[in-house]
Amino acid sequence: MNAPLNTLKALSEMQRLTSPFPESVAVKDWKAAGGQVVGWFNPYIPEEIIHAAGMLPFEMTGDNEPVQMHGAEAYIYANSCSKIRTCWQLQLDGKYKFLDGLVSSSMCDQDKRLYSLFEYYNKLPYMDMLYAPRKRDEEAVQLYLSDLQDFRDRLALYRWHRFSDADIAKSIKVYNRGRELMRQLYELRKRDRPPVAGAEALEVSKAAVRMPRERFNELMEQLLDEIERTGREIEKARRLMVIGSDLHNANQMAALESLNAVVVVDEMDIGIRRAWGQVDTQLPPMEALARYYVMGRPIDKHNWISDGRLEFIGELAAQYNVDGIVSQDVRFCTYNGWDKFDLKKQMQERDIPMLQIDLEYGHPAGAQMKIRVEAFLEMLEGRARATEPVAG
Amino acid sequence: MSTDNLIAADELAKQIKMAVEGIKKKPGLMKSTAASMELVHKYVERIVTAKDEGKWVATHGTQQPLEIYEAMGVRGLFIEFWGVISDAVKLESVPAALNISASTGTPGEVCSFFRNMDGLLHAGKWPKTDFMLYATSSCDNVKAYHTLGRRYGIPSFGMERPYLPYTPKALEHWKNEHKRLIAFLEEKTGTKLDYDRLKETVRLSYRLTELSLEIDRLARHVPCPLSAECFGGVLLALRLMPGTQEAVDFLTELRDEMQERVDNGIGAVEDERFRVIWSCFTPFWDPTLLDFMQKKYGAVSVGEVLANWRGEANWILDPDDPLGNLAYRTQLAPGNCQYASSQDWASNVVDQARRLKADGAIFNNNWGCKQASGLGRLVGDELMRHCKVPSVTLNVDVIDSTFVSRAEIEGQLDNFFEMIEGSKAYQERKVAA
Repeated sequence: MNAPLNTLKALSEMQRLTSPFPESVAVKDWKAAGGQVVGWFNPYIPEEIIHAAGMLPFEMTGDNEPVQMHGAEAYIYANSCSKIRTCWQLQLDGKYKFLDGLVSSSMCDQDKRLYSLFEYYNKLPYMDMLYAPRKRDEEAVQLYLSDLQDFRDRLALYRWHRFSDADIAKSIKVYNRGRELMRQLYELRKRDRPPVAGAEALEVSKAAVRMPRERFNELMEQLLDEIERTGREIEKARRLMVIGSDLHNANQMAALESLNAVVVVDEMDIGIRRAWGQVDTQLPPMEALARYYVMGRPIDKHNWISDGRLEFIGELAAQYNVDGIVSQDVRFCTYNGWDKFDLKKQMQERDIPMLQIDLEYGHPAGAQMKIRVEAFLEMLEGRARATEPVAG
Repeated sequence: MSTDNLIAADELAKQIKMAVEGIKKKPGLMKSTAASMELVHKYVERIVTAKDEGKWVATHGTQQPLEIYEAMGVRGLFIEFWGVISDAVKLESVPAALNISASTGTPGEVCSFFRNMDGLLHAGKWPKTDFMLYATSSCDNVKAYHTLGRRYGIPSFGMERPYLPYTPKALEHWKNEHKRLIAFLEEKTGTKLDYDRLKETVRLSYRLTELSLEIDRLARHVPCPLSAECFGGVLLALRLMPGTQEAVDFLTELRDEMQERVDNGIGAVEDERFRVIWSCFTPFWDPTLLDFMQKKYGAVSVGEVLANWRGEANWILDPDDPLGNLAYRTQLAPGNCQYASSQDWASNVVDQARRLKADGAIFNNNWGCKQASGLGRLVGDELMRHCKVPSVTLNVDVIDSTFVSRAEIEGQLDNFFEMIEGSKAYQERKVAA
């Protein structure tokens, strides 16, 4: 990257608070104050409910360094998603000992199996599982709402504290503010010279789910203010979009940006989906949460009828004026696997070049990937030159 | 890419018919073997002739209420079975279909049942299909039904099953999903469901359940009367043709033959040394393995988790509420533990191991199955903890015979049975017996 990460003070503070990973300064401070931490796996867990119960929601992931497998594959065989194996290895390594609870959903087969491993081999004081609807219709909303109500009741029982609709409404407000601020950052990245690199934006998204959201919101406000005050700009020849599996190793994205390109938008659960829309504050809070989580975000890879996901990718690419898409899929992801054919077709129809990369979660961008990205960028350069007006 | 090796439905039907005749002449097999192949032939023939007979064909996945199909003149085409039977009849077909699937960009890491369909659809060799029908269970691959349906212009409908189907609210939702399926089929076929006909197909289906439980009870006998050639019979009947008289007739014949063998002290092999359960699925990629195990090790396959009912499986709550019964059945039905916690799966396997007096369990870790890849260790630990039954994990592809060599499998089985024989738990069981 042209601009080193520490040039943004608010981001540096986010990184300080969320380091070391995972038992960070923020987590230690929270626990030292007598707080409890609840881990969650996938985007169908409403953090607002955990927050309203007075607990810290923490997304269970890997981070910027690859995790050496030395035991996880005895429980989760090698023909499985390396993100799941990474999380289990971190548990085996004792890195997630600080968790008081764990909540997952049936979003994916492998998430479910990881949850079962925790339940069987390392049961936490609070554990829960929700249904992640595959459809996006009223029946799905009602089914999910029913699960959310049960989840809220069980959590209240665990806490010996009945949290009210007003408590949930307050949490919704906090999280809505976070989404709004993150969305503002995404809007700034539409500029010809975006103020932040993709790797930096990824660090911001990660921080959102690893620290108290109120503090995150304060830092986001500072970050946006800092960007405006300093007039920060990144000048790169090519604008890229990253789609596919969730990335948590920002070094992978930084490797793309070490070339003459900047990632201006993504289509990841950890990325723009986390910054998308608002929970409707006019509805009863639980219903509002159910509607937002089922219908309020862009269609994702796990939705059965994922036609809209492909359209969403195409529309985002146009909005952010990207030159090309890097689709990076963690191997053994069934959902991404089934989208590949139509994704390629649809992007071809839209005349958006796409580089498809299969990778292992958390691993650094190796030489092979770098060569492929360089070749892709060269191709993008060639396309750009071909469309430039001829001088004279 | 060549499509010469792909097997089409009409050829499949012909080959199975020939196999039935061959089986009838082959000595030493259980009598029901021919009947089981006749059931398979009937099933494939129904698909081949559907159009001529004014019927509809639905490509579908697991946990479908086939009784509704049957009552509406819709013939099911179960994609998993199509992969299995294609592999059994023409070994080259599945690898060829998988190659075609790969050429379209579908990664080789997803389930080969679905990749086989993908390849055959792409090559125009999948049987003519009017709809794609599926449910949340069994796995994430069900997304392929809509995806491929969209690609090839086949309408699709998915039933959303709650993860925990045990609460009244969840059950009501699931029952409503059955109603939505009926509405979809009524719209597409232009035919109203006859609920009296549905009650009849549900009644036949429940009879099938009762028969399969009787067969399970007979399989507990030592020596086990069920031989390798008929081992898959219950699964075939339950998964392919519930709600039909043909399936009931077949399981009745199988039950009677097993009873006769029990009465006469006839086992699958003369010297039954090991009783084996399959804790994930049976070796569909190589159906000859069961017979090989019987002959080489005296190892008899006594059960498999995908054919295991929970408890007494009394899923008829109200004879006048066929949809409620079908919805409830899902809680008890074989294979529904696929879409549940690993502990739930393991408890099914443990129950089966105890009931069937298993000495060992074989866990097939199917390359494309993300349900299985995070499951084997936990199931193995539960089996050992509760009944001291050891497991072996075979890394395979469910229907691709080229994925792993037979020699490698045999080597693992040699070690496994040697290990069981030397174990204290096995010795104690033998003394106790």
